[in-house]
Amino acid sequence: MERILRINMTDRTATFEPVPDRYAHRAGRWLTSSIVHDEVPPTSHPLSPDNVVVFSPGVVTGTAAPTSSRISVGAKSPLTGTIKEANAGTGWGGRLARLGIRAIVVEGMASGDDWWLVKVSQDEGRFEPADEWSGIKLSEAYASIYERYGGVEAIDVCAIGVAGEQRMAAAGVCFSDREGRASRYAGRGGIGAVLGSKRLKAIIVDDSGAEGVSIADQALFDEGRKKVADALMSHDITKPKGALNTYGTAVLVNIINEAGALPTRNFREGRFDGAEKIAGEAIFDGNKERTGSELYNHPCSPGCIIACSNVWHREDGSEHTSCIEYESDWALGANCGIDDLDAIAEMNQLCNEYGLDTIEMGGTIAVAMEGGVAAFGDAQRAIELLHEVGEATPRGRILGNGAVVTGRAYGVERVPHVKGQNMPAYEPRAIKGIGMTYATTPMGADHTAGYTIAPEILGVSEKLDPLDPDKASVAKGFQEATAFIDSTGHCLFIAFAILDIESGFEGMIDECNGVLGTNWDADDVTRIGGEILALERAFNRKAGFTNVHDRLPAFMESEPLPPHDAVWDISDAELDKVSE
Amino acid sequence: MQVEVRRFASLVREGVPGRAGEPAQVELPPSATIDDLLETLELRREEVHLVMVNGRTVSCGDHVLGDGDRVGLFPPVGGG
Repeated sequence: MERILRINMTDRTATFEPVPDRYAHRAGRWLTSSIVHDEVPPTSHPLSPDNVVVFSPGVVTGTAAPTSSRISVGAKSPLTGTIKEANAGTGWGGRLARLGIRAIVVEGMASGDDWWLVKVSQDEGRFEPADEWSGIKLSEAYASIYERYGGVEAIDVCAIGVAGEQRMAAAGVCFSDREGRASRYAGRGGIGAVLGSKRLKAIIVDDSGAEGVSIADQALFDEGRKKVADALMSHDITKPKGALNTYGTAVLVNIINEAGALPTRNFREGRFDGAEKIAGEAIFDGNKERTGSELYNHPCSPGCIIACSNVWHREDGSEHTSCIEYESDWALGANCGIDDLDAIAEMNQLCNEYGLDTIEMGGTIAVAMEGGVAAFGDAQRAIELLHEVGEATPRGRILGNGAVVTGRAYGVERVPHVKGQNMPAYEPRAIKGIGMTYATTPMGADHTAGYTIAPEILGVSEKLDPLDPDKASVAKGFQEATAFIDSTGHCLFIAFAILDIESGFEGMIDECNGVLGTNWDADDVTRIGGEILALERAFNRKAGFTNVHDRLPAFMESEPLPPHDAVWDISDAELDKVSE
Repeated sequence: MQVEVRRFASLVREGVPGRAGEPAQVELPPSATIDDLLETLELRREEVHLVMVNGRTVSCGDHVLGDGDRVGLFPPVGGG
């Protein structure tokens, strides 16, 4: 029996209810955005009791479908004021799905100064005091929580760090990886702050006694998952010892740099002279030098074939941080003019410890550098600034609220954001399609919302010229397909394989039909993706957003970006085609 | 003429000096093409998924290189 667990923080109750008929086939992003759309007053303050935080595993999460252990987290974002869905790879969502819990809805707000942990299991959601884990590093909190509740085999952990406790808009929601590290983030949009406002420190899931995900047509499901697995196992990007497994997502540093689209020193330039020193290849080589062996990456969550999550080691061979993703590497590295992997690792780890979105923090430090708080390239000062966020000093509070707040505080014009969310690691002036995604996605600047980089740079699915402005239909198509994939529970990285290998794409649909008993085909992927986007845009419109907000900052229209000396030259009418 | 070549990811291999992204000057006859360059470097066309010349992707092996061109050679890569 599929069910929704409502965690009411106001009266500290946790209640199971059946999944309403209208949500029958909805999961992942489709369900989080549906519930936020249906239950949150669009004009409400994100940190008020009216906001909710919704967690939903995808359609196939918790099954044997490969690379499908994603959890979607939705709310009205305190960073953007828009609807938000952020997702992470973790065993947490799989356990939830196997308990038959399609969603957790956290609502209301606890009174008083106490922090709470909710333990979710087969029969209940139980409130327990959590004060002992507030104000400390997340790695210490996780270790203590695991010790108390039975270890990595028994539970997975979701928690906020001090940034979330302090209701900072750059606070992410942290999930456990397969080894129990506090390292996998639904990072973007400040949903950690929403949990903090409700005084919910952690949710742990114990799936003992779970019956597993019910599957309507096992044979069809099995056929589908085999097609997806075959595609992942054979594609050069996703296969074992392929690009992602060997070099991690940071393998992108060099190619985006070569394309002249690696935002450098707060989006002043498109090439970074230290790129090769921080790239995925340098991570692989550095680890080999320091550990004496070739280290291939590990899965962030159970059942992943791609296994792209890395560990960076100190000179003495001990673990420094996991994971240095492309985005984090760029944000804390090239974007701040920093070319030292050890310094980037330290900053990455501090974000993990304090519960921060690495993209927003890298972008914020770069804006602070622009404002004269530190020199570009000054890694030591950047590390000190992150500590200030963790200590919630007055300056730390400014930084912890993201790039726009920081830009305002320090009088900076060059703040590369859309709808209040700092841009990620692709320069829109040099890659037009991703700029159109940044502008028009309901999420604020977000590369994962419509990853046109695949055809524009990587030559996946087709090869398009990144400087060609005619990308409205590409950006729209990618946003629709992505909204669907985000609802299946699959990691978006399956797209590399299934966009090139048609049977893999079919397999993804077969899997969903197998679980749900539906008859979806490829047209339904577009239709459902479009419905999800329409829901999200409807929420945003009622929250006060119009087409005027679907624009990039004006400095990008006037400042040419080296080396291509390109400006942002997409017309408003062309941008509006994406969301028509 | 000389072109400045950078190899990346799995195209950097034992027996080839330098690290990923480290520029190497390669001597080529005038009007040499991408295919000529790959042959000089003993790289097979099918293992080179993307070729960038001066930051722009070049799809044809018969693209004629110019003196001082910056060439980047990539196997299939992806991330996010």
